[in-house]
This record gives sequence, structure tokens and C-alpha cells, in this order.
Amino acid sequence: MDFALLTRVRHFPVRHHSPRTTAVLLKWLERVKPEVVLVEGPCDATALVDVLCDAQTRPPVAILGYRTDGAPSSSLWPFAAYSPEYQALKWARANGARAEFIDIPVGVSLAVDRHAPGLGLEAEATDGEAPAPEGPEAEPLVPVTEAFARSQGYRSFEEFWEASFEAPDWSPEQFQPLLIAWAEVLNAGPRQAYHGQRDAFMARKVLEVVAGGVAPEKVAVVAGAAHIAAFLAKHVDPAEEAKLPAGVPCAVTVIPYSFPRLSEQLGYGAGNRAPHFYQKAFEANCDFRRATLEVLLDFAAHLRMRGFSASLSDVLEAYRLAVTLSDLREKSAPGLDELREATVATLCRGDATHVDNFLWKSVVGHEVGQVASRIGQNSLQAEFWREVGERRLPRTDSPETFSLKLNNPVEVGSSVFLHRLRVAGIPYATLSGTGSSRKPGAEAGGYAALTRVRESWQAQWTPSTDVALVEKIVLGDSLEAVTKHVLLEQLSKAPSTAGAAEVLLEAVITGCSEVVAIALRACDLHASSDWDLPSLASAARALSGLMAYGTSRAHAEGGDEAVASLGEKTFGRALLRVRDASACAPDAVPQVLDALRTLHEVALSQPRADKAGWFVEARGLMESHAVHPATSGLATGLLYLARELPEADVALEVGRRLSAAVEPADAAAYLEGFLQVNALVLVKSRDVVKALDDFLTSVEPERFRQTLPVLRRALGALGATERRYLMENVMGVRQLKDKGRAVKAVLEEKDKATLKDLSADLGKALDDLDDLL
Amino acid sequence: MQLMPDIRLPAEAKYKTELDALAAHDDKPRPPGWALSPRAVEMYILGSPKPVGGVAITPKYVGDKGLIQVCIATLASDRALMLVGEPGTAKSWLSEHLSAAISGTSALVVQGTAGTSEDHIKYSWNYALLLAQGPTPEALVPSPILRAMRSGKFARFEEVTRTSPEIQDSLISILSEKQVSVPELGEITSAQRGFNLIATANTRDRGVNEMSAALKRRFNFVTVPVVEDLEQEIQIVTKREAELRNDYQVGVPPPEELSRVLLTLFHELRKGVTKDGKTKVRTPGAVLSTAEAISVLFNSSILAQQFGSGTVTSHELAASLVGAVVKEQEDDVKALREYMETVAKGRTGPWKELYTASKKLLRG
Repeated sequence: MDFALLTRVRHFPVRHHSPRTTAVLLKWLERVKPEVVLVEGPCDATALVDVLCDAQTRPPVAILGYRTDGAPSSSLWPFAAYSPEYQALKWARANGARAEFIDIPVGVSLAVDRHAPGLGLEAEATDGEAPAPEGPEAEPLVPVTEAFARSQGYRSFEEFWEASFEAPDWSPEQFQPLLIAWAEVLNAGPRQAYHGQRDAFMARKVLEVVAGGVAPEKVAVVAGAAHIAAFLAKHVDPAEEAKLPAGVPCAVTVIPYSFPRLSEQLGYGAGNRAPHFYQKAFEANCDFRRATLEVLLDFAAHLRMRGFSASLSDVLEAYRLAVTLSDLREKSAPGLDELREATVATLCRGDATHVDNFLWKSVVGHEVGQVASRIGQNSLQAEFWREVGERRLPRTDSPETFSLKLNNPVEVGSSVFLHRLRVAGIPYATLSGTGSSRKPGAEAGGYAALTRVRESWQAQWTPSTDVALVEKIVLGDSLEAVTKHVLLEQLSKAPSTAGAAEVLLEAVITGCSEVVAIALRACDLHASSDWDLPSLASAARALSGLMAYGTSRAHAEGGDEAVASLGEKTFGRALLRVRDASACAPDAVPQVLDALRTLHEVALSQPRADKAGWFVEARGLMESHAVHPATSGLATGLLYLARELPEADVALEVGRRLSAAVEPADAAAYLEGFLQVNALVLVKSRDVVKALDDFLTSVEPERFRQTLPVLRRALGALGATERRYLMENVMGVRQLKDKGRAVKAVLEEKDKATLKDLSADLGKALDDLDDLL
Repeated sequence: MQLMPDIRLPAEAKYKTELDALAAHDDKPRPPGWALSPRAVEMYILGSPKPVGGVAITPKYVGDKGLIQVCIATLASDRALMLVGEPGTAKSWLSEHLSAAISGTSALVVQGTAGTSEDHIKYSWNYALLLAQGPTPEALVPSPILRAMRSGKFARFEEVTRTSPEIQDSLISILSEKQVSVPELGEITSAQRGFNLIATANTRDRGVNEMSAALKRRFNFVTVPVVEDLEQEIQIVTKREAELRNDYQVGVPPPEELSRVLLTLFHELRKGVTKDGKTKVRTPGAVLSTAEAISVLFNSSILAQQFGSGTVTSHELAASLVGAVVKEQEDDVKALREYMETVAKGRTGPWKELYTASKKLLRG
């Protein structure tokens, strides 16, 4: 390799997404006036330079390279307006210079590493290193950059960078050696072989351009400082290039990118923590004081908008404090740390919550870039249209309905696709019902979705579908990734076992196997500390559903056995809480009753649930006087329904609970719980009705009035059929047999005319009953 | 008769050698009226790894450097400094040391109470002299704040929010115009350069919300956080407890193991969950601050010396602990008992002993 020639080429070392580097670079380019500008970036994306420099394109945008052989793998090379590479390209276009990318092609970088990070220079990347040793004494692994910054008295690498590189007004002569020196520090550490291979590749590309007849002094190379440092130090081994793997089939495109996404990519090579702030600084010619002031004014406006007081004098004071702090720290201008501290101390009166909750988002920014219309769709759009086409789903802007039979893998696949769109919040299809019965407002996901064999959907493409697809790209590059992101976010916010189980169900329905595994762990974690019976019961129900219907949609690792054992465990834990939870305050009763019914349902339907254990608990509730009487009533009813309690015993139990010695209010609550269970079966039992009748007739008038509301609620829930059976049984109990038969005839004929013919005696009896009911 | 030394020396007296050494080697520019440059003040508060002029500078506050820098930068501006935080987070301690380092005195203090009146903030009169001579400068009794203004030093106002808002508001003119008018004498006292005010307020029992918006605008607020890092808190507590033992000349040094047990317990009760995140515990209503931990440890060291075997054991720790945690409500007894049963019982070593010792005390 001709190093003499390589070093004669003009080099400019950069840090990606650094506004100061960009400002210095532009000055340098004006001075050097190169004819060819070579930029670090995948060489097969050179054709996209036109799109990037198009007047319609507005950063942040990113070059997206993705595999086209079906393997899910892609990589992004993002650019902000203040990225030196982007401005180098723009400069070249504006000044008639040739602009080319010189890094390894997308296909090769995808073959190297599935998570190939954006624009190289990850000298400190810790990916693939051994995990930190476990144990209390283990020091967390600190990247070289971070350790260096701390040794210089800074709290983070970003702070060090800002203070040392961004804030001072460097000239090109000062800045280049500084960055090279810094890169040499980085290169002194262990450098991944991959970077050496890229060095060799890029060096060859540079020399090819020179060989093509351009004077080396007229070639400008704009690349990561570590690469340039390697060139200048002649640490490039041409043999390394051969070690690069063969490329995989792939395509490149430009997609809109966003500031929030850029700020998520932390680390030396990848992104920065506050793109909006740097954008401001870039626009102000790297005057960080001005950027600070502008952001503080934004903050004050934002605070006022939300109804907090934030005066101009506060802003001035905050600005003064930020500048004083930067002086105290011997920085040339305030950075993000000073901005934050000054905002908290002045605008927010010492309380960081506003800053964390909403203000800080505005230094990150929410801008989404725009790509010139000459480029096609993003990967989500492409996926969406491919799926819609292959699955023959509606693709017009008018509502269309169709149904899916979930007994073949193709239609299950369509269902997974539509559910993913639903969870990801991409407006396209809504579930209009299941099978033939179309219940509007039916729950689209969750437990209900699990049990369906048919799904009816209504779908319509609107422009907002594509807008959402473009926006959601910040969450992931494929629909599965977006869904996964959304579900994981829900999971992180899930407060309880029930919440985690809900996410688990959604993960199964949307076929996100990774989330299934994570959600299972979260369920497990929550379940071991959850004390809330309703939450545990609902989780047990969800898990039991999964045990019954399987997780086949998600192809989960660990599979059904993990679900089953967790289901068993959660059910067991819920049982432990039954007694305590049932001794609850009146306003919590409805939830507890629901939870008990759910547990009963699970116990009977799920073979692996601890059925015997549930019956023991239910019996305990039935016999206990310490719990809320409604739960005792419900337990009695459920046990009877499950044929765990003979009829005679039920009558005895109900009789005992409704006996005169019991407080009528308690008895009424008991009754309410009792009648919640399939009332028809209960009122059919002569003995039960007798106990009921005895109770009602024995209540003193004064007490009766007090318990009336509860009684009315309990008995009011009975339907027409139940009432008839009840009445018949009351007749039987009161030995109004003959008249009773006549009543029955009347009721069955539903003929009011015959009523008049009935004896006054019967009329009186009916009046009595009416009073009672 | 032998003269007894003061129980507690003010910061400027106790750390005189450190302050003198810093002043002698301070070559950075000092804001007008300041005894030290901001850098030197920072070094005095946070300590220095290297001795300055042969004098070791011990850390007075262990924690975020940025927080101290915000305090110092504020004090160098025309805004006053308000330190807010939970009780026992070293707000007053910090205010004392900042005043001592910057003004050379921490003695100009007003303690805010419900009974604080405008006289305490501005001036009052020596009534005998007032009756004899009428209003004269000699009969005027200046408040600590007025004295600070006259001499260009820092005044401190402890627990501002305990004082009624009307009285608090008398600070507004002092802080914005930097002067106090004395109509009886027909004169106005203007603050000398170097004057500023450090106030503290508690976020627990009466919030800072009690302050008027107009007054708030005269302050920069710095929240002094509860120490989150266990190791850091152990370091603080051990150091401060040793200092207390030295000041009061009582007690025996407690073993490090026990300090660790105590602070782990404090951390877990404060957070409501155990260190491993597996067990939830009930958080008691009592304040579990670093200062409280220091007092528990000091207390048990005295108990051990005077009534125990001469070495601090779990028994003394349990006795002091129960007194500290269970102050206000009966519920706190339950919370502590629950913690002992669910957490301490399952652990080994000193935890076991602590469990046994506390079991007796918490019965009933």
C-alpha cells in the first residue's frame, strides 16, 4: 500500500454528530477546495447522495440498509443537519465536487454483525465482551472513554466531550491534531479487528480515486477520527481487507429519522444525548451560550404554557447561573449539564420533576426528518405493502370487511399481522366481531382473542396508515420490532401480575416470541410479590387460557411448560390470598367477587390448577365469619354449583347464614353473593327457597326497611324465569299448592283476563308475595 | 477550676487550620467580600485528595459535586440560596460550612419558628435605652441579617417555611434591594458587598409551597438529596459518628459490620423494598434520614460503653433503633416488626442477633 500517497491526501477526522466538528470542517473545506470529497459511509449508498442533498430532504434522515433475503437484519447510518458527513456531502454538491462514500458495502457490514452500529468508530464498544463477573465486589465495566472522562474530573464522557471539544472555538489547525490525538488514545486500547478491516477497505478506495487521476491534494477524506489516525500512523494492513466476509443480498434506501431516536443511540460513535440542543448550537454557529439561552427561553415558555410561573428574570438568572457554573468548571461555554442544573435551581425551584417529565424532552427534540419524494418507501411501509399484497388484504381508501378462519396457518398469519398493527397503533384494521355474531365494541385483544376461532375485521387504508408507518420507524425497522417495542414499554409500565399477564397474552396474539419470554419472567417476578387477589386471579385466568390454547402463535422458546408451571404457581399464590382478600372493605367487594369467580372458572376448566385447593379455600370462605358475607355467599353458591356441596347442606348453610341471630345487613350481603352464582339453579332448590322464605318473613319491619336496598339489589338481579321458579317454590313451601297450580297456569298462559276470575283469596296471596318481592 | 471546652465549635473555629491553609494558597480571583475563591470553597466543602500547604482538607459533604457548584455559583450571584430537602439531609450543615468558608463566620443565624417576627429579621430596640435616649443608633438592636448586611457577610435563615408567610415576605425587600430602612432613625442601611443569604426549608412537615411566589423568585433552589448510595452513606455515618464521639468524649467505636446492618435496614425501609428487590417492606412514617442513622449509631455506642459490655452489639443497636424508628405512630412498630420477621430473620450473622434482640423490645 502506498502510504506516501495515502498521507498526501487531505484528511479531516470527525466525530459523528458533532456540531463543532461540522463548523470546523466547513471552514477547512473552503480553504482546501477539494475536487473529490470521500465520506465514511457504505460505498453502495453513493447513489443516494443525490437524495440526501435534495432540497426536499430535511434531516434527520438515515441511510437504511436491509437484507433482502428474508433474514431480519438491517442497519442505519443516521445523519443530522449538524453531522459533519452530511455537511461534507452538501458542500461537495454546492461546490461542484464529486462526493462518494468509501466504507464497506451494506451487505458486508450486515454480514459482519447483525447489530452493526451506525457510523463505525465504536472503539469502546463493549458488545460481545464477557459479561461483568457476578458478585458484590464486581466493579461495573466502564468503557475507556467514560473512564478517561472521569479521570479528568468530569461526570460523564459526554460532559467531557462537550467541554473539551464542542464548546471552545477551535480553528482547523488546532482541531485536527486534537481529534487525531484523541483517536490515538482510543486506538491504543483493544481495537476490534473489524475496524482494521474497514481501514484497509477505505484506504484502498481512497487510493483508487487517486489512481483515477485526481491530484491527492484535491482529495478530501472525511471519516471517523480513529480511521484517519490509523491512516496517518500507517497502521493499515491491506491483507486485512480479505478477512471481510462476503456480502449478503441487501438494499439501501433513505428513510426519515428522528431526534428522539438519535438521542437513544448513546455511545461515542452512535448519537448524542440532546439533538435539538446541538441543532440550536449548530444554527448559532456553535455559540453554545446562545443555544443555552434559547433553550432556557423555550423552557420558560413551556412552563408558562403549563401554568407555572417562569419570568424573564428567572431566565436571565438561569442563564447567568449556567455561565457562572461553566466558568467555575473552567469550561468555555455552558453545556447540557449546566443547562440542566441552572434550570432546576431557578426555573423549577429545586424540583427536578418538571425537567424530567417534560422539559428535557424538548432538548432532545421531536423532529422527524423528511425524505425527498424521489425515494421510495421505508422498511415498515415496504413490509406493510408486501404483507397486504400477499395476504390479499384491502388496499383501498374505503372500508372493507372480511373474516379470518383461524384454523390454518395462513389466516393465523394474517391475524398476527393485523394484531401487530393494532398493538403498534398503526391505523388500518379494526376487529368488528367474531364469526357470525358481531358484537360491536368487543375486546380486540387479550383473553378474548385467544379463544377465537374466527375473526371479523374491517380494514381501510388511509394516508394516516402510511404516516404512522413512517413515524413508527423510530420504534423499530420491522412491524415485529415495533410491536415488541410497544409491548415492552407496556410491560415496563405494568404495575401488577395482571398487567404483565395482559402483555403476555398480547405477545402471544401478535406472535412476539421474545416478548413472551420476557413477559413470562415479568409475570413470575410480579406474582412473587403481588398481594392483590383480583390481579392474581386475572393473571391466573390469562395463563390458564394460554395453557389451554397454547402459545403456538408466538413459537415461544421454553414453550408451554413454562407457562403451565407459572400458571400453577400463580393460581397457588392467588389461593393463598383468598382468605385475606375476602376480608375486605365493602367497596372492594365487587372486584373480589369477580376474582373468586375467575378462580373458580380456572379451577374447573384447567386440569393443572389446584382444584382441591380451591375447594378447600372456598369451603373456608363459606364457613368463615371473618370475611365479607358476600364472599361467603358466593363461595357457597359456587360449591353447590360444582356439586361439592349436597343440596341439604346448602339449605342448612343458607339457613344458618340467614338465621335471626345474624345481622340482617350481613344476611342480605350473603344473599347478594349467593344469588350472583347461577341463580336459576339455586331458586330451583325447594330447601334453599325455604330458608330464604323463612329469613324474609322473620325480619322485623324496622330491620327490613334497612336491609331493603341490598335485598332489592340481590333479588332484582333475577330474571323472569328465575322469578317464576322462585314463586313456584314459595308456593310449595307455603303449601299454597292448589292455588299455586292455578297461579302457575295463569303465569304460563300469561293471560291477564283469567286473572280477574281468580278468587279474592288467591289475590290476597299474590299481594303478599308482591310485597315480599 | 478547669475550664470545660465548648461542646460544639462552629465550623469556622473547628476547621480554622484548613480554612487558613486554603486562604494562604488561594491564587484564584475572589468575588468581592469573599474570604476564599469559589474553587477553594468547593475544595473546602468536598475535601481535597492532596493536602494544601501541608494541611489535609477533609470532606465536609459527601455527594454530588455539581450540587455544591450550583450552591457556590448562586451565592456569587445576586440571588440568595435556598437549600431544600428531607429532614436530616445535611442542609443546615452545608449552610454552616458554606458561610464559614465564604464569610469566615457561620454565626449570623435566624432560626425560623412560628414565633419569628419581623424584629428577628430586621431590627428591634433596647427598650431601656430607647426610653432613656429616644431612638438612637445605640438603642437599635440589629438582627443577624442586618449585621450580615452591614459587615458584608452571609446570613443564614434556618427553616424559613416554619415562619408565617407575612413575616417571610419581609425578606423580599432585603433580597431585592439589599437594604433595610430604619424610619425611626431616618436612615437606610445598605448591604456591603459580600452579603448574601442561605436559607433552608424542610420538604417533609411543611412544604416550601408555603412561600410566596414573590419571595421564591429571590432564591435559587437546590434540593439536597437523601443519600441513595449505601457505601456513601456508611462512609458519612461512620465519619460523623466518630466526630460526635470525639466531641462529647463518650462512647466506644461500633464495629463496621453493625453500621452496615443499620444502614441497609434504613435503606430498605426507606425504599419499601429489600436490596435484592424481592421482598416488599412497609415504610414507616418516621423520618429515616442520614442524621437519624448517625444518632442511632452514636446512641448505641454510648449504651454499650455505659450499660453494656464495652463493645457495641446488636442488642444496643436494637434498643436505639426502636426508639428512633418508632417515634410517632403505633403503625411504625408494626412496620419494624414486620421487617424483622420477613427480612432480618432470614439473614445471617448480626442480622440474626438483631432479630432476637428486637423481638423482645417490639413485643406488645
